[in-house]
Amino acid sequence: MEARYDRQIRLDEVGLSGQKKLMAAKVLVVGAGGLGCPALQYLAAAGVGTLGIVDFDLVTLTNLHRQILFDQNDLGKNKAQVAKNKLEKLNSSIHIEAYDTAFNAENGFDLVAAYDLVVDASDNFETRYCINDCCVLLNKPMIYGALYKFQGQVAVFNYLGGPTYRCLFPTPPQAEEVPNCDTVGVLGVVPGVLGVMQATETLKIILSLEGVLSAKLLSYDLLKHHIQLLDFKPNKEAIAQLKKSKQIQQQSANQCAQDVEIGLSEITNNSNLIWVDVRELHETPQLSISNLRHLPPSKWETHGQQLEEASPKIFFCQSGQRGRKAAVYFRKKGISNCFALKVGAAALEAWINNTQHEKTT
Amino acid sequence: MEITVCYFGLLAETVQKEEEILVTHANTLGDLRKELLARYPPLKNSTFVMAQNNEIKSEGEALLQAEVALFPPFSGG
Repeated sequence: MEARYDRQIRLDEVGLSGQKKLMAAKVLVVGAGGLGCPALQYLAAAGVGTLGIVDFDLVTLTNLHRQILFDQNDLGKNKAQVAKNKLEKLNSSIHIEAYDTAFNAENGFDLVAAYDLVVDASDNFETRYCINDCCVLLNKPMIYGALYKFQGQVAVFNYLGGPTYRCLFPTPPQAEEVPNCDTVGVLGVVPGVLGVMQATETLKIILSLEGVLSAKLLSYDLLKHHIQLLDFKPNKEAIAQLKKSKQIQQQSANQCAQDVEIGLSEITNNSNLIWVDVRELHETPQLSISNLRHLPPSKWETHGQQLEEASPKIFFCQSGQRGRKAAVYFRKKGISNCFALKVGAAALEAWINNTQHEKTT
Repeated sequence: MEITVCYFGLLAETVQKEEEILVTHANTLGDLRKELLARYPPLKNSTFVMAQNNEIKSEGEALLQAEVALFPPFSGG
């Protein structure tokens, strides 16, 4: 056994047999962001034998204060791939798989099936509910972490027949109801602490240790250091129904979002498009593209009439969330041809540079 | 009876306080939810679960003489 694991093997709770369990374990981490980066670092360092990393997004400068696997040379590169490269330098004896894609109903089942447990380090509800359903259908534990400003939640779902994410929160919120870190802001250490807690629960499960946060929601206020452990019960009927249906339950908001989303590969002719940047004016990268408008959320109600044209409008933001929200909002207002860009401004910038390059060569 | 109600996450911003002492006639947590929605109409657009004595409970359960905490799901990661 490698000397690198000596200090944890010394623990009675780990030992050689525990280390072997870690090396045999396969963990899928969905999201290589504020939660995923620290979780991945500890899981790789501890010698978890196979790690899968799912993230479609690209590294931006605004990520670096909290997504501590990345550095300035990584800007514009895919997060899953960069994370894999960094972690291989940390521990070359483990196997790491990078999935440069969003986790969704189409690929989720196959991704989860190849792993023993799933760390939910995503930043949106569609993905969380999708991970939950895949885990329930395939009987895999889901290690949940999420935050709002200085408060965090951590829990383990679907562990040894325990309750699921849907048992805790049966009704998915509206897409626009709960903002994410890009919108409200976040101090980098908060997802750091929570991601490490998720890694802790993951290791406890692999090592069969006691005290796994199953059927409990840990609520942690990092400003006040107020910690609560809340018990909750499984909704056996809902779990049975989901298992019987044998399919991921599509949320109405989710379905709606899928209709409005558009990928860069689907755009063949951008001459008649209107690009609508819904980020605040200070957000970077600033893009230079023709037919670009700025419409941050504070102006949607007052300046929305600008959009009443027949041309297709593609809304975008830093990650895709606000863009989606905008497309849904303006569709509800009766404005036709509203779409949301699946990817964020950094990916759009790279695409603009590429297409311009193609034109000049 | 008088009970303390605590609001977590975005809920604290929605009702503009982190906690308060309320006089309520509610018999169940569901009754209390209705009273809170009447008191703070913007809460109608919020998803949250209610806990008492460190347990998340369904709306049909009796309201006890103990602090009630409202937890929304978080999205950030």
